[in-house]
Amino acid sequence: MQQRRELDQVYTNRKLLNGQLDTPKWWLPTVSILGVVVLIGVVVIATMINKGLGVTGLARPVYWGLFITTFVFWVGISHAGIMISAILRLTQAEWRRPVTRAAELLTVFSLLTALVFPLIHAGRPWRIAYWIMPYDVARGIYPNIRSPLIMDPVAISTYLTGSTLFLYIALLPDLGNLRDRTTGWKNAMYTVLALGWRGNPRQWKMQTVGGILLSALMLPIFVSVHSIVSWDFAIAAAVEGWHSTIFAPYFVIGAVHSGVSAVVTMMALMRWLWKWDDFIRPEHFDALARLLIVVATGWLAFTFLELTFALYGQDAPEIALREMQMFQWPWNALFITFFLTAYLIPVPMWLFKRVRTNIALMFWTSILVNVGMWLERFLIIVPGLARRTPFVYTWEAYRPSPVEWTIFIWSFAWVTFLMLLFSRFFPLVPLFEAKESQVFTDDVMIGRAKVPAIVREAD
Amino acid sequence: MTNEAVAHESDHHAPPPNVAADVVARELVATTTGASGRFKAWTWILGILSVVGIAALIVKFIDQGDDSTKWGYVAAMVSFLLSVAGGAPMVAMAPVMAKANWVRPITRIASLFSFAGIATLIMLIPLVAILPPLVTEGARRRTIWYMAPDYSPHIWSTLGLVLLLLTGIMLFYSAALPDFASMRDHSTGWRQRLGKRLARGWVGTDVQWRTLRMRIGMFGTFYFLILVFVNFLISTDFGQSMVPGWRDAIFPMYHTVSGFQAGVAGVVIALYFSRKYMKLEKYIHLDAFWSLGRLLFALTLLWIYFFYSSFIVFWYGRSMNDIATLDLLIKGPMIYAFFAGMILLWFVPWWILIWNKVRRGTGAMVVGSFVILLGLLIDRIRTFVPAWSVPPENIHQKWLQEIPATVWPDVFDILIMAGGISLVAFTVMMMTRVIPVLSVWQVQEFNLLAKPIRYIKGHATLVAKPD
Amino acid sequence: MTTAEFGSHNWGMVVDVDKCIGCNACVIACQAENNIPLNSQDRVERARSISWIRVERYWEGDFPDAKARFIPIMCQHCENAPCEPVCPVYATYHNSEGMNVQVYNRCVGTRYCANGCPYIVRFFNYWEPVWPESLRNHLNPDVTIRSRGIMEKCSFCVHRIRRESRSARSAGVEIADGAVQTACSSACPTSALNFGNFNDPNSKVSKMKEDKRHYTLLDQFGTDPNVIYLAKIDADKKVGSGAAASHD
Repeated sequence: MQQRRELDQVYTNRKLLNGQLDTPKWWLPTVSILGVVVLIGVVVIATMINKGLGVTGLARPVYWGLFITTFVFWVGISHAGIMISAILRLTQAEWRRPVTRAAELLTVFSLLTALVFPLIHAGRPWRIAYWIMPYDVARGIYPNIRSPLIMDPVAISTYLTGSTLFLYIALLPDLGNLRDRTTGWKNAMYTVLALGWRGNPRQWKMQTVGGILLSALMLPIFVSVHSIVSWDFAIAAAVEGWHSTIFAPYFVIGAVHSGVSAVVTMMALMRWLWKWDDFIRPEHFDALARLLIVVATGWLAFTFLELTFALYGQDAPEIALREMQMFQWPWNALFITFFLTAYLIPVPMWLFKRVRTNIALMFWTSILVNVGMWLERFLIIVPGLARRTPFVYTWEAYRPSPVEWTIFIWSFAWVTFLMLLFSRFFPLVPLFEAKESQVFTDDVMIGRAKVPAIVREAD
Repeated sequence: MTNEAVAHESDHHAPPPNVAADVVARELVATTTGASGRFKAWTWILGILSVVGIAALIVKFIDQGDDSTKWGYVAAMVSFLLSVAGGAPMVAMAPVMAKANWVRPITRIASLFSFAGIATLIMLIPLVAILPPLVTEGARRRTIWYMAPDYSPHIWSTLGLVLLLLTGIMLFYSAALPDFASMRDHSTGWRQRLGKRLARGWVGTDVQWRTLRMRIGMFGTFYFLILVFVNFLISTDFGQSMVPGWRDAIFPMYHTVSGFQAGVAGVVIALYFSRKYMKLEKYIHLDAFWSLGRLLFALTLLWIYFFYSSFIVFWYGRSMNDIATLDLLIKGPMIYAFFAGMILLWFVPWWILIWNKVRRGTGAMVVGSFVILLGLLIDRIRTFVPAWSVPPENIHQKWLQEIPATVWPDVFDILIMAGGISLVAFTVMMMTRVIPVLSVWQVQEFNLLAKPIRYIKGHATLVAKPD
Repeated sequence: MTTAEFGSHNWGMVVDVDKCIGCNACVIACQAENNIPLNSQDRVERARSISWIRVERYWEGDFPDAKARFIPIMCQHCENAPCEPVCPVYATYHNSEGMNVQVYNRCVGTRYCANGCPYIVRFFNYWEPVWPESLRNHLNPDVTIRSRGIMEKCSFCVHRIRRESRSARSAGVEIADGAVQTACSSACPTSALNFGNFNDPNSKVSKMKEDKRHYTLLDQFGTDPNVIYLAKIDADKKVGSGAAASHD
């Protein structure tokens, strides 16, 4: 572990508020470029809704393609927030502190993006209210709650609500800080948002208790979200590659894998863009990479089980599907890429401390993981549907159309755009967490060795 | 500065006093001698029950060795004992990897359970002889051994269990070296001689410590891998593949996780009794119960999650496989066990362990642990007994056509189950006579690394985190 | 001929594969009857053609002894339909007459039902349907035209069933066996397709169903279809190998 640096509170404030109190030079050009991409994406989506889903590459029997893959991908990314903020909070992992805000943000924005996909991918999106809204006056029937597609919006919107609250509660002390440092309309905005935050002990206590309670309450939702997404697939007995009992935990652990990797990517970017070297330190990357090694290896075990039990039945269609998924062009190329990027390249690299503390390497390996995890979802969804059923009439492959690719790219631009917009008004590293970690860490002398220590409540 | 410490302000009480290192060594070594009358009586009872159980196993093998449908309860017992005796040492391992301080004093008691693996092995021997080969009547059944030689499951499961036992003992021994040295220095009679022999010249040099930690890490990782491997083998070969059409990818994972759950419950029980009857309140802090309680609670929730994950996929799937599997394991002959398991393994412990007050105490924790162990036993019966009740001539069908009737335990089964459980308790109790029930050096380390401090108005602990 | 109790219908079809000559008349009849958009070359190539009933080619046996066979496949109207529980808006559900029905107005086009269907007989409207001007007056007024973005599939010509039951009800009589014919069954030149009421033990289909050649498609999924197939008779093979055409 590195030597602790004493950072005084004035320095912390000045440094961490550098995005709000003055605008970095790169901010406006970047946001403008992203804005253009977002605009193009919106136009393409509008065109697609106007013309119909014929503009996609979907064809029988592949009725779900790139959109659903990307939906699952973004829902997966959203698991970063609660993983980092809630689970690590409950297990009292000290190194989570500078990362919490970014992870929660990623949750909120990726969920907002994920929600778009099932909506635009429906045949008649303008009737989607019938699907999502639990009340239906016009038709006299309620939605079919047996359908995982009903459980999906319920789980995701609950998760989104909870995550937003979580983010907001953690933002309160920083909002109070910003209110005291701004003037004009910004001051008015922060005043309203800070809800009269003064930082007195009662407020702190409520903020802490609120955070802990939300952490505990959010955990089941966190698990349920991706489980339900996985049941979208797993309950279909007719699709051999989908009907596996392991899907729920397999998807959840895969989501944590990709989500935490996305947080690593974000942390590296934050460190470079806002020059927060004092706050986002190599030891944080080190700790995250260690966590990732465990998560990734757990995920690998689930992958192994999934494959083993796919072949367990020794049924011809299942074996044929796996043969196609792994050994037939073009799936084989995707499969190899998936395996290399999701596990075989990054994880052995993380075994070395030199890699774990090298920010550039961590940045690139974490991006690799997400390439791999996106491919994983693609390889589950599309070959699963494109399987060769006994009916030759339905043998057809799927090739995503340019429209689908554009909307896919839009989703990335959109999340980054929202993130940068947010960073202009709110600090990305929680100030109070940074200060708290200063107070809560100490060194103790054991014999002649100076050992880093943290403060814990007594039992 | 206002974090968790503030949230629990009302719960604060003074931290337990620090004990000097040499007192720790003397007191803990002294626990190995001078067993109370009650302890001796219990050991006798458990010992006799174990012998009766083993005898029943032999008689049953001679009597019913040719009918595999009668061996479900023994299979359930293998799985149950594997869960408890195999899972418990993981409690010692997992948090060590996460550098948790509270776990240090209790690693020993957890790793004592690896000796109980001998009970699992004894139960497995007749079962291996009875397990049908992969190819029966020219047809191959569904297994993970696609093209492997005929008797692969028999060989690998046995090897796995033996390896698990050996690794567990090695894990125990590699962490026990300094304690054997304390026995050499502080004990008398055969214990001193044993300590001298087994301490292998331990004096505590830097190199020795480094080797020790490396060994613990190595055997710990190895133990974990073997445990997962054995869990996978036992649950698929002795459970799933006995039923045509039961294809449940999560079942091995489910088996492993409930194994951890049973392990933690077993450790809590052992910890409770040694704390209470060996007067170890000074060393076994409530913090350990609190942390174990949270772990147990998390594992309980994980259990229901894994169970539900497989249940809902069968429920919705409705293919012939799915329907037959549900009919056999849940709706059919085992419906009582299903409900009992649900209540005992999930609902009751859930409502017990959800309370922070409970987790900070010992009494309700130990009740919860007993409930969990009982529930787990029933759950193992639910999965393994119907699996073995499928007649071997139907084993290679595509899916189960005919749901067998409920199999109730006979006298042998009851004696065998009582004997198996007694053997585990007996082994652990006997081992506490051989080596201190708490690891002396880990208790010393615990005291060294955690320092009670005054913090603002309350108490807190300053925990050092060495690399 | 006695008839079943009024209103007690379980519509179903018995397909005698041995009689089928693969002429595709059923396919054309269905297209015309149900206002199915024209399957242009482009749509067929992109696997977006819509064909409520189709004649599938399949191979039976391994290479030197392989036989080319064909079999008409339409929605199987399963009793345990995998498409039904997954629809979030109840656009597809099981009605009291044993049919799996599709309510076009409810459908939002999630295509989840199509993923669940093992027979792949559900079709999605990628575009707004268009017909050449010359065909516009040939559309069947009894059948809804499906707009883009919704699923459709074989309805067992539900409009014909409704028409018959209306006239039977107003006349105060039961629907006679054979009175309701689907477009495909009435077009079939060899009577390979037979439509009727399984609840009536004396109906033609109920009797045909008892044939020992009967089997259902993909029975491992436990869907319990209302379309029963009668196996092809092989000169050199024993009759009644039920799973012969389940394509395993």
